[in-house]
Parts: sequence; C-alpha cells; structure tokens
Amino acid sequence: MIKFLFKGLLRDKSRSRLPIIVVAVGVMLTVFLHAYIVGFMGDTIETNARFSTGHVKVMTRAYSDNMQQIPNDLAITGISSLLEDLDREFPGFEWTPRIQFGGLVDAPDESGETKSQGPAMGFGMDLLSESSGEAERLNLQKSLVRGKLPGSPGEILLSETFSRKLKVNPGERVTLISSTMLGGMAIHNFTISGTLFFGQEALDRGTIIADIEDVRMALDMEDATGEILGFFLDGFYNDDLALSEADRFNATFGSVSDEFAPVMKSLSRQGGMGTYVNLAKGWSTYISLIFIFAMSLVLWNAGLLGGLRRYGEVGIRLAMGEEKGHVYRSMIIESVMIGIIGSVFGTILGLSFAWLVQEYGINISGMMQGSAMLMPEAIRARITPPDFYIGFLPGIAATVIGTMLSGIGIYKRQTARLFKELEA
Amino acid sequence: MKLAIKLAFRNLIGAGLRTWLNVIVLSFSFVIIIWLKGVMSGWDQQAKTDMTNWEIGGGQYWHESYDPYDPFTFSDSHSPIPGEFTGEIEKGDMEPYLIAQGTIYPQGRIQSIMIKGINPNQSIFMLPAHKLDTSMTDAIPSIIGSLMAKNLKAGIGDRVTIQWRDNQGTFDAAEILITDIFTVSVPAVDQGQVYIPLDRLQSMMGLEGEATILTYRNSESPVVDVPGWTHKPKEILTAQVDEMIKMKTTGQSVLYAVLLLLAMLAIFDTQVLSIFRRQKEIGTYVALGYTRRQVVGLFTVEGAMYAVFAALLSAAYGLPFLAWQAKAGWTMPVDASDFGMAIAQTLYPVYSAGLVVSTVLLVLLVTTVVSYWPSRRIAKMNPTEALRGKIQ
Amino acid sequence: MKTILIPILSTCLLISATAQDANEILKRVERNMSSDNRIFESSMIIHGNRASRTITSRTYAVGDKQSFTEYLSPAREQGTKMLKLENQLWIYSPSTDRTIQISGHMLRQSVMGSDLSYEDMMDDRKITEIYDSEVTGTEPVDGRNTWILDLTAKVTDVAYHKRKMWIDTERYVPLREELFAKSGQLLKRTSLSEVKQIEGRWFPMKVIYKDMLKQGDGTEFVITSVKFNQSIPDYIFSKAALKQ
Repeated sequence: MIKFLFKGLLRDKSRSRLPIIVVAVGVMLTVFLHAYIVGFMGDTIETNARFSTGHVKVMTRAYSDNMQQIPNDLAITGISSLLEDLDREFPGFEWTPRIQFGGLVDAPDESGETKSQGPAMGFGMDLLSESSGEAERLNLQKSLVRGKLPGSPGEILLSETFSRKLKVNPGERVTLISSTMLGGMAIHNFTISGTLFFGQEALDRGTIIADIEDVRMALDMEDATGEILGFFLDGFYNDDLALSEADRFNATFGSVSDEFAPVMKSLSRQGGMGTYVNLAKGWSTYISLIFIFAMSLVLWNAGLLGGLRRYGEVGIRLAMGEEKGHVYRSMIIESVMIGIIGSVFGTILGLSFAWLVQEYGINISGMMQGSAMLMPEAIRARITPPDFYIGFLPGIAATVIGTMLSGIGIYKRQTARLFKELEA
Repeated sequence: MKLAIKLAFRNLIGAGLRTWLNVIVLSFSFVIIIWLKGVMSGWDQQAKTDMTNWEIGGGQYWHESYDPYDPFTFSDSHSPIPGEFTGEIEKGDMEPYLIAQGTIYPQGRIQSIMIKGINPNQSIFMLPAHKLDTSMTDAIPSIIGSLMAKNLKAGIGDRVTIQWRDNQGTFDAAEILITDIFTVSVPAVDQGQVYIPLDRLQSMMGLEGEATILTYRNSESPVVDVPGWTHKPKEILTAQVDEMIKMKTTGQSVLYAVLLLLAMLAIFDTQVLSIFRRQKEIGTYVALGYTRRQVVGLFTVEGAMYAVFAALLSAAYGLPFLAWQAKAGWTMPVDASDFGMAIAQTLYPVYSAGLVVSTVLLVLLVTTVVSYWPSRRIAKMNPTEALRGKIQ
Repeated sequence: MKTILIPILSTCLLISATAQDANEILKRVERNMSSDNRIFESSMIIHGNRASRTITSRTYAVGDKQSFTEYLSPAREQGTKMLKLENQLWIYSPSTDRTIQISGHMLRQSVMGSDLSYEDMMDDRKITEIYDSEVTGTEPVDGRNTWILDLTAKVTDVAYHKRKMWIDTERYVPLREELFAKSGQLLKRTSLSEVKQIEGRWFPMKVIYKDMLKQGDGTEFVITSVKFNQSIPDYIFSKAALKQ
C-alpha cells in the first residue's frame, strides 16, 4: 500500500508538490536558523579562542594561576616532547605554542640613539613555518594596514597606532627590551615588516606580533613557551569535548605537587569565558525552541490545508465506497511521506545554505569601520550535529497532526450528501 | 472597501483553526521581533546606563596626559582642579578622581593596580563610596569590585598591603581595609582597581587639591575649554558599546528575516489554497460586476487582515508579556557576574513607540505583498470558467 | 637589681654620648665604604621561581657619580655593559649593538630580575646629605655590637623616607639596613656580612637584598675581589666605551 501511495504522490503533483515544498521550506528555515544562531552566538567565543584562549590551552599550573600577569618565568619547558605527546594523544586538536610577553619597544634615530620608546604587549606565534595556520587564524593579512606579514626571521608586526606613536615605518628597525624567562635582561632587534589594525583600543595602543622562534631567542625560551593553544580540527568550539579532553590530559600529565607540571584548561574554564559559553548555549536553545514551535504551527497549518485541498478527491473516494478509516489512514501515511521527503529536502537545503553562510559568511564589514582583527567582518553560521535532525521532528509531526485534524472531517461527511457536494 | 473588509473578516473567521494558526505564527513574529529588538536596545541602554552610573557620568574631562592604557602616564597626569569647576564640584555635580599607579601584595604575590581616590560623599557614581567614610586611621578604607576581590582572594574586612610612590617618587606602603565589595557590569571599574577616599590619596601622593579625571553629572552641561584638560563627551566614551550593539543588531536581523519568512510561508500557502478553492466565488464576484482588480484587492485585503489579527492577538498576549519583561527584566540563564563585557545579569528590554510602529508596519507590508502575489492569478482567470468552478 | 641596672644605665649613657654623633658615625662609614675609585668583581645570585642564576660582572667606579659595569657571565649576558654618569644610565647590548638609555619608568624595573631596581643603584647622593640621623640604641648583630641609627629624609625626593641602619661600633660598617615607606611599613631589608679588611678598610663582601612585601629568597650580591685607588682611564666613563 505504501508503494501505491508513494506512486500516487509522485504522479499527482497537486497532491505532493506544494505540501512538500512548504515542509521543505519550513524545515530549511529551521535548520538554517539553528546553524546561524549557533554560529552567531559562537562568534565571540571563536574570536576569543583564536586570539587568546584557544579551544583548550596548556600551560603550567603556576602560570594558569597567575594568567593575567603573563608570568613567563612560569613557562612550560621541554615543549617539543610535550607537543609530540599532544599530537599523539590528542589528535583531535591542532596544537600551536604561543608566548605572550610585555616589554618596551625602542626606536633608534640615525645615530642609534633612542628616538622614541613605548610600552608594548607582545605575542609570539608561529608565523613562518609552512604548516602553521596562525596568520590565517588571526586574519593577519586582512588586518594589515601597511607593509606585509613577516616572511623571514627577525621581522615583526606593530599595531598601526603604536607605529605612528613611535614614528616608525615598515622596513625600519626597533629594539625590544624585555626580560627573559629567567628574569634576565632581553634586548633584541627586529625589523618592522608591517602594521596592523586590531579594532580594540587596548590592543591598538601597543601590540607587537613576532614569530615565536624570534621571541624564544629574544626571551631565552629555547624549547619553552608560555602557552600551548589547542584548536579543534573543524575549527569550532565544543565545550563538552573540550572539558573531557582537558580532564583526560590532566589525569595523565597533571600533578598536584609540581607547580610546573602542565595543565590543560578548556576555553570555558579561562576567565569569564565559561559564562559566555553558557550564555550562548542558553540563547541558541531559546531561540531555536521558539522557531521550532513557530515552524510546527506553520506545518500544522500546511497539513490542514493539504487535507482541504483534497476535499473533492476524498469525496469521490468515499462515494466510490472506500472505507472512511481507510481513506483517513492512507492520508496519514501520505502525510508521513510528505513530512519525511519534505524534511529530507529541507534539511539538505538548510544545510547547504548554512554551509554557504558558514564558509563565506554574511558580510557586515561595510557596516563596521574598517577591517579589524577583533571585529568579525562577516557573520557566519555553524553547522552542528543537531542540524541534521532538528528539522525532522516538527517537519513530520506537525504535518501529520495537521492532516489528522483536517482528516477528521472525513468522518463527518455523509455518503448520501457526497454527490450533491461534488456536483456543486 | 468596507465591504471587502467585512468579507475578508467573515472569511477568515469562518476558516477557523487555519486562520488562527497563521495568526499565531504571525503574532509570534511580532512579539519576538519586538522583544528581541527591545532586549538589544535594553542592552545598549543598560550598558550605557551602567557606564554612566559607574564610570563616566555625563561625560568627563581628562588630564591631558592621562592615558588609561598606559599606566606609566599616571604619575604625570594630575593637576590642580581648575577654578572654572569649583561651583559645580561644590554642588556635587562634578566629581574629581585622582589616579595613581600602585602595587598590591595579596598573600605575598604581587600585582599592579590603579589606585583611585574618590570623594566618599559623591552622588554621581553608584559606587558605595560612603563605605569609605570611616574614622578608621590604622588602615586605609577601600572598596573594590567583585572581580578584583575574587582575584585577590579577599573579602570584606580583609586587610591587604599596597605600595605606591608619592609625587616625589618616595615609596610608601600601607594596609587597606576592604570595607565593601561591589558588583558591577563594567569591568573597567572593577578589574585592577582599588578605591580609597580622595583626600587620603591626595595626601598620600602629596597632591592636595589635584585630580586626574573630572566627571560631571549632566551630559548637557556646557563644555568648558580648560587648558591642560581634554573634554571627553559621553558619545566618545561609549563608542565601543555602540560598535558592539551594532554588530549584534546586524546579526539579529537575519533572525527576524527568517522568522518573517516562516510566517509568510504559512500565509502564502493559505492564499494559494483559498484562491484555488474559491474559484466559483471569484467568478461570482466578476459576474456581479467586480473588476478583476477589485477581486484581487479583496483577496489581498483578506491576506493582509492576518497581520491585523496577528497584531490584535499580539496585543492580547504580547503586551502583558512585553510589559512584564520590561518590568521584571530578562534574567540570563547563567551567572554573568564574571563576564568581561558590559552585560548585566538581568536585561530590561526597552521598547520605543517607533520600534512597535515600525515592526507592525513592516509585518503588515510584507503580509500584504505576500497576499497579493498569489492573488494576481485571479486577474488571469477566465470569469465564466471560474464561475463554473473549472480548475484553471 | 644592681646588675640589671648597670647595663641599662650604661646603654643610656652610650646613647646620650653618641646621639649627636650619628652624623659622625655615618661620615666614618662613608669614609670606610666609599673611595675615590674602585674596581671590583662581583656575582649576583638571583633566586627565581624556577632556578637561581648567578651573574658575574666587573665594575669600575669613580666616586659615587660614575660607574661602568661589564657583565662577564652567563654567556647570554656576557658583554652587556652599563654606564652610569650622574643621573643618567645607558645599557649596551652587544647582540643588538644598541645603546639604550634607561630613563623614566624603566628605571623602576628590576635589574636582571633581581630585587634591586636600576633606581636603587642610581641614588648617589651622600646619606648624610639627604637624611637626618639619630642613634636610637645598640644591638648585637651576628655577634658584633652595633649602633642602631634611625634615618629620616630631610629632602622630599627620596625613594625611602626612613631607614634604619645597624652599624658595627668598631669597624664602622653597616651590618643591616631596613628601608621603610613613609607610613613606616618595612619594605626592604639588606643584610651585610663577611666583613673583611681590604687595604686598611673594613668592607662587607656579601650583601643580601630582600623585598619584604614579596615572597622569595631575595638577591645575594657577593664581591669576589675589590681594589681601591686604582688608575682608571677617563674614557671608560663615556658612551663610546660601551661599544668596545
């Protein structure tokens, strides 16, 4: 019977086309919206992850206790073997070391004397090795104001505002004065390769970015780093997984007694990010629920309309002597099929749109002033596992309920009056 | 027209559940769009109100060398309070802050802080400055924010040593006694900040009568050009909030669009069906002498009436809901106290008349267009065939 | 009763006898400790979070106003030079070939991660010029009798408003010093030991600096060799000498 009904649906376009389109569009909107809201709410999380917290971060226990002060004297040492361990034991992440440091940038005049000086916040990250995705991760290329990205050792990026303050230009030399991991004096020369715009005043005031190897050399941090950031391979934060992976790491590598033992912290366990992660989860759930409810009503209505559309057909079938219950059941089975087909199409369409918006984003940079590293230039959707099933429940259930309700009318119709109705 | 409305009304009521489902979905669009927009503008207002109440007042004058991002400037960024402001300060409509860089030593650790001298009797900021007004002499009374307290692992009644250097560079240190801890959604007021009485800091620094920042109460105060001081109006001080809200609002408009699309889907579907089912009716109208345009108008009015019904329904349940929200606020499902952004635990949505009117008009317009679209088919119908109920 | 009274009385007598001589004591200390010029080698042991580091250096100094320090080890610091002339300070780093003036807020930074700041090394005014002093008691320190001197700043632009010094009554060498905030809070403690007689003067060869507000073991400063009244060529105290 199912096969028969299915054929009927395929051949009678009026029976199938519009209902399926409506279900598909409804499901598509829901799937897209869910992916969008998750992406939209997650954007702040990802910006933070990329810039400072990673999806997870490994550091020494003492460092993590004093994170705000960026205590490089508490850095992790022996990181090449630690990185190997991480790559082997935690292949779900891309691991990248970073060093944050403070210091003073000194620009010389022609005779090598100090021309200008300013306090700086620095980031050392892997900019030069082939496989590193750090420059893309931080959107450095697009945030460039002048010059180019570092292409060889000894090159450094300055925030544009800072370079203006120091009156230096790409191609010129500056000296970094800082302290080494062990507290000694660190003086190191860099050549400015370019300048950046961050879009946040605190960072634009005095930020420098250099290749991590240079920073290691400058701060005497051979085989050491302040932090190791881990990013999920799909590029999106997953709180449950991050928490469980961090627990797994800490159970293996952690130590309660040694303050220099490494600890892994998920993004949600760093600073106030946990609150935001929960906030984003809460909002996404609320808004998705409201939408699913609204969509259920729409599809319910569509089911009702579908029943009405076939008023005449049902009448003929009853007049021909088909049993009321049979007609009713067959309509419900049809509606299940419509629900499934519509939901499948809708989910595929919704996922496709979501994918487009995930990959390309909705550009909002025109509304923002300039291209800044910390302001998203596009709002992106994010496809998560629920997107694959979220449309089905309302897509099928609401359609069926609508048909069931409209089908009740079948029982109310008197066979005797059918011909009269059909005549009209 | 009157007849059209009457007819439309009858038709819709007659359709029963179908009409109400459409109306409910559409009314959702109304309420949610208004609510979300209300939350956004509430957030915007709350962030700005909090900044006003806790940090910037109606605007500020900064000492020209003061740079909040460069603590090294603090030691030079102070000068006597200009005479132009004496009247305002006496009235309590302007408050001077003196800012000094210092170090705090919680449990032998060391941390940089900003020591802010504030008048204990001030009434511009919501800071519990009156708690600084004690006769205690052995320690400096101080108030700190909850983030700072968490960071220091200190509570009310605890004593912590701070160290600073006075105007001449002489080291000085003393214990502060934490007399109150406040919770604020403006992190700049909290993180790394220690508040002590202004006169105390002035004498500690040897800077009697001097200040770093002057905050005035009324944002409409006339701007006075004072040499050595830079005027920072409210708009400049809140620019970053504007930027963030703009980003969030832009992002949300996609949500409204999807919500409206969903409602329009329902209405479109309904319209297509009713035109399909009511061919005889259409034929009759034409036979009665209606022009086709009038018939199209009739159906369009019927469709647009969904929006009217929805608006009424929204008013029925939405008004109490929105009003209750505006009063009780929307409390975040999570603890937002340590979130590093100007966001309070409870947001109070703010709805402007413009917001409501523009939303109603938008939904009405979109509904009308969507209702008109399938109705155009009517114009192409052959009236006699329609009258006979022949499917075209 | 009598046996108790006598030492107390004698202490009182001693104080009253020496009160007006506090300045005199300090002058004798200065005569003992400072010289027209000196060359010394020293090691600074800094106890860090992770490990202790030892930095050795050779310093040429003329009076209190001019000094030139060259770092000898570890390898990373080797060749780094520091020149102080009056109230100016320059650092030269061979790896960057830059001479950088340390000024303003940089002066408040710690020297090589120690408990000493550049500024601590910069104040070259004579103690008697900037402090009023008074003998307030006696106390044995490390088995030697000392006078306790309370010093109160008589000028405003000093880092420490009050100091307390324990001075060996025989050798005129400070054995301990405490630095106080204006409020009276103890900020830093210096302990001097291994007093040796060199070229006729008593000189403490080991100094331990400790920041009292901070956790940690402080910084040790050990003089491994010292020579007084040498002939130091003038060019050493020039910026040109930094680059050599």
